[in-house]
This record gives sequence, C-alpha cells and structure tokens, in this order.
Amino acid sequence: MNDLTNVPHWYLSLGGLTLEFNSETLIMSWLVMAIIIAFGWLATRKLTFLPGPWQTLGEVMVSAFEGLVNDALDEGNRHYFPLIITIFLFVWLSNMLGVIPGLSEPTKDLNTPLAYGILGFFIAHYAGIKTKGIKAYLNEYIQPMFFMAPLNIIGELSKVVSISFRLYGNIMGGSIIILVVSDLVYGLVLPPLLNAFFGIFVGTIQAFVFTMLTLVYISVQTK
Amino acid sequence: MAFSADIWVQAAAYLGAGFAIGFGAIGAALGEGYAAGNASRAIGKNPAMSGAILKNMLIGQAVAESAGIFALVIAMLLAFIGTEGAPLIKAFALMGSGLAMGLSAIGSGAGSGFPAAEACVGIAENPSTQGTLTTNMLIGSAVSQTPAIFGMVVAFMLMFIDWSGQPLWPGWAAVLGAGLAVGLAAIGSGVGSGMPAGAATAGIARQPSAATTIRTNMLIGSAVSQTPAIFGMVVAFMLMFIDWSTSPPWPTWAALLGAGLATGLSAIGPGIGNGFTAQEAAAGIARVPEASGPVTTTMLIGQTVAQSTVIYGFLVSLILLFIPREASEAMTAWVAPLSAGICMGFGGIGPGVGEGLAAAYTVNRIAKFHEEQSVLLTRVMLVGQAVSESTGIYSLIVALLLLFVI
Repeated sequence: MNDLTNVPHWYLSLGGLTLEFNSETLIMSWLVMAIIIAFGWLATRKLTFLPGPWQTLGEVMVSAFEGLVNDALDEGNRHYFPLIITIFLFVWLSNMLGVIPGLSEPTKDLNTPLAYGILGFFIAHYAGIKTKGIKAYLNEYIQPMFFMAPLNIIGELSKVVSISFRLYGNIMGGSIIILVVSDLVYGLVLPPLLNAFFGIFVGTIQAFVFTMLTLVYISVQTK
Repeated sequence: MAFSADIWVQAAAYLGAGFAIGFGAIGAALGEGYAAGNASRAIGKNPAMSGAILKNMLIGQAVAESAGIFALVIAMLLAFIGTEGAPLIKAFALMGSGLAMGLSAIGSGAGSGFPAAEACVGIAENPSTQGTLTTNMLIGSAVSQTPAIFGMVVAFMLMFIDWSGQPLWPGWAAVLGAGLAVGLAAIGSGVGSGMPAGAATAGIARQPSAATTIRTNMLIGSAVSQTPAIFGMVVAFMLMFIDWSTSPPWPTWAALLGAGLATGLSAIGPGIGNGFTAQEAAAGIARVPEASGPVTTTMLIGQTVAQSTVIYGFLVSLILLFIPREASEAMTAWVAPLSAGICMGFGGIGPGVGEGLAAAYTVNRIAKFHEEQSVLLTRVMLVGQAVSESTGIYSLIVALLLLFVI
C-alpha cells in the first residue's frame, strides 16, 4: 500500500538549481514515444495501393479521426488533424501501458496530462487569434457584459485544469482501485477483470474524451 | 488517556475519507441509474438496436462514474495519508478536503447521467446518428464533470499544503470553509451543466445536420452554468491563501465560515437555473437551427441575470473576508457574521432557480418565434426575473443589516 505515495526521483543540479524528475514517468513516456515512432515507421515504410497490415492499421486510425476533425473544424483549420491524432495515440498508449505488469501509465502522474492540457490551451488560443484576428478575439472576453471579463478569463484557465485533472483522476483512480483490490484478494481472479475495465475500457474512453475536448477547444476558439 | 494532535488529525482524515466517498457516491449512482433506465426504455422502443444501445449505455455510465472515482481517489489518499507531527489545523483541512470532494461530486455525477440517457434514447429513435450521439455524449458528460474537478483540485490543495503557517484560530474555519464553499457551489453547476448536454444530445438525434451549431451552443451554455462553481472556487482560494494570523481569532472564525457558506449555498440555485435556460436553448436550436443567434443572446442575458444571487453571495463573502473585525468574544459578535453568511446562502437558492426557469421558457418561445417576438419576450423575461429576484434582495438586505447595523 506504500506504493501510493512512493515516487522514484532523479535529481539534476544545474547551476545551484536542483531539478527533480519522476523517473518512472519519464521512462514510460519515452517508451510510449518509441512505440509511436516505431508504428509510424512500420506503417509508412512501404506505402502501396494494396496496404500491408501496418499500413491498414494506420489508415483505419487516420480515416476514423479525419471525419471527427472535419466535422469540428472549418476548412482553414484542418491542418490541426495530425496534432489531434498524435495526442490521442500518446494518451491512449499511455493509458494502455498500465495493463502490462511491471509498467505504469505516465498519465498517472499529473504532470503529463497537465503538459498536454497546457499545450492544447495555447494551440487553441493561437488558432483563435489567427482565425479571428486579435480584436475579435479580445472582444469575446467582454461578452455578454464588460464586467464579466475576469470570470471569462478564469473560465478559460479552468479548462486547462479540468481537462488535465479529469484524465489524471480517472487513471489514478483506476490504478488505486486495482492496487487496493489486488492487495485484499492476494492477486486472485479479480485483478485481470479490473485491469480490463479500468485499464482498457476507461483508459480508451478517457483518451478519446481528452482528444475530443482538445479538438472542441480549438473549434470553439476558431468559430 | 491523553490525546496528541496526531490522533486527532488521523481521526479527521478517516472522517474526511468517509465524507468524500459517502457524499461522492450519491451523484454518480443517480446518473448511472437514470442512464440505465432510459436505455431500457430505448430498447423497448427499438429492440433491433439493443446491442448499440447497451454499448452506448456502458460507455456513458463509465464516464458518469468519473465523479465517483475522483471521490474514491481522495478517500483512499485520506485513509492512507501520513499524519506524524501534523499541526492540529491539518485535522480541519483534511475534513474540508473530504467535504470539498464529496459534495462537489454530487452534482456532476447526476448531471453526466443526462447526456448518457438522451444518447440511448436518441439511438433508438434515429439509429443512423449513433456515432455523432456517442461523441456528443462523451463531450457533454466530460464537460459536466468540471465542477467535480474543481472540488478535487481544492481537496488536493487542502490535503497536501503545509498549513503550519496558519494559526489554528481562525485558520480552522478558513480551511473548513474553503472545502464547503467549493463543494456546495459545485452541486448546482454540476447538475446545471449536464442539462444542456442532455438536451443537445436529444436535439442532435432529431436534427443531425445542425450538430455543430447545437454542440457549440451546448458548450457555451455548460460553461456559463459553471460560473457559480467558479465563484465558489475563488472564495475557497481566498480562504486558503490569505494570511489570517493577524486577525483576532474571535469573531473572525465565524466570518470565515460564513463566507464559505454564503457563496457555496447561494451558488446552488443559479447553477441549476442556468442549466434550465441552457437546456431550453439547446433544445430550441435543435428545433429551429436558424434561430441560434437570438436564442444564444437571450440565453446569455437570462443566465447572467439569474446569476445575480450568487453575485450577492460573493459580495457578502467578500465583506466577511475583507472588512476587519474588532476582537470580541461576545456571542452576538460571532453569531451575526455566521448568520449573515447562512442567510444570504440559503436566500440565493430559490431566486437562482426561479430566474433560470423564467429565462428557460422565454428562450423556448424565442426559438419558435424569433423574428416577431424576440424583443418583447426579452423585456418580459427581465421584468419577471427582477420580481423573482426580490426575495434574493431581501436576503441580501438582512445579511447587510446583520453585518453593519446590529
């Protein structure tokens, strides 16, 4: 049960400043990145008209997300599509890692979802300013009345908080439940079922929710 | 038998864990049950789609369960938190942490059941929209969990911040009040932001071609319904981060508790009321997509006016937090600020819901007759809301009397 609060650390001293890294999160994120790069290489290595198995898998994913992005974004903003599908692949594979014994989800560390939430926030606002112009963009903050401006700003910032804590809470919650129940039943029968539900099912849904919300934030800003 | 501070903190942690998951389980269970009931109804209507409806119900319930899972995370952390050498104020912070998470999960859990239920019914009525409905349900449910996430953020802060810098008196009331402020304020907003999500999902099943317009309106309506929860979170932050060591312990503690209750309670009504308005707006746009401009404008005006009682609550909280009090242990000196907070808090609930309903029916009507009746209806709505608000103003007057005259 001590696993709950035990975080492995790496320390790095830079000119008097000590940086602290969560080594588990870093290694697992690199693992996810390696898998995505390997998959991208395999899927696009030999592009043919009659696709091989890896290319088929890649095409299925791209075409599934293309429709969603085309529904949400206007013609001029469709170039965010690669970003959206990359976020999905990263978050989804991160959530899946926890199912494999010995590995853990990088999304279990709040810093990972927060990094992606902040990334999505800046991209959405950049897209908004670029599409509408700075004047129309700023004008949205004083809707419906000028004194609502502070609340609108807090509301925008709270989107980052909500999107990242939602993913973190679900993944962390799943792993806590699995840990506690496994401890109670001495690892018999139940843990694989719980892994299937919280790891695969909830993990997939939350990865999709995270991606869709990033997409929706961009779409709301560019409307 | 002598008790050390450690034991009190440990006991408070267990109590907080009980609050967190005990309250936190209410909403998610309601929401999931509502989704399951509507899924059965939908399968009864269209048995051929039973597989798809069942799948959609399970996905929707898994998302609606999030609020319960957040509560579980906080409860487990509270149950296993280390308490060696913790100051006594930590006991109140841990109780506040449990209350913040538990109460804030009630609304969000119930609210995220609405889109799940409507998506099941929608699939039965219009099977071809299945994919769009599931996507919209996921977005809507996820957005209505935001208030519970506010509660979770405050719960984490109360749990992990080192409170030894704050004095026990009146610091205990500040940390407990922070938990109550964000927890109570999130109840209304959680339910309120689920309502437009449900109506939008039902609307997309009827009018799939207007899906993008409906979804945009749903997101705006949900976001505005969450404003009361944001007021609660702002008050919680002020209670947590202002240094109370220079204020006299008596009667400041009562003012701090009152500040938390004033905004927390008064936010419940406007949160639900805004939800009614946004619900009718989403449904109206689904019926008449070309009315989306006037409907959205009226919805925003109606919601802003309906929020006035939580703004009164916020005002009373600010007065309680920032107007310095003379040290006094007399009973009246501490009962008055506490009563002012409670008075404004409860007084804000009814007008918030009532004004939201007034705006809801106006929006509904404007969606149907937006060309000829828009201006007239908006005027009637504003007059009606002003009258319905009068009870909220009475509460504000009594609260101010308690604070300044007596």
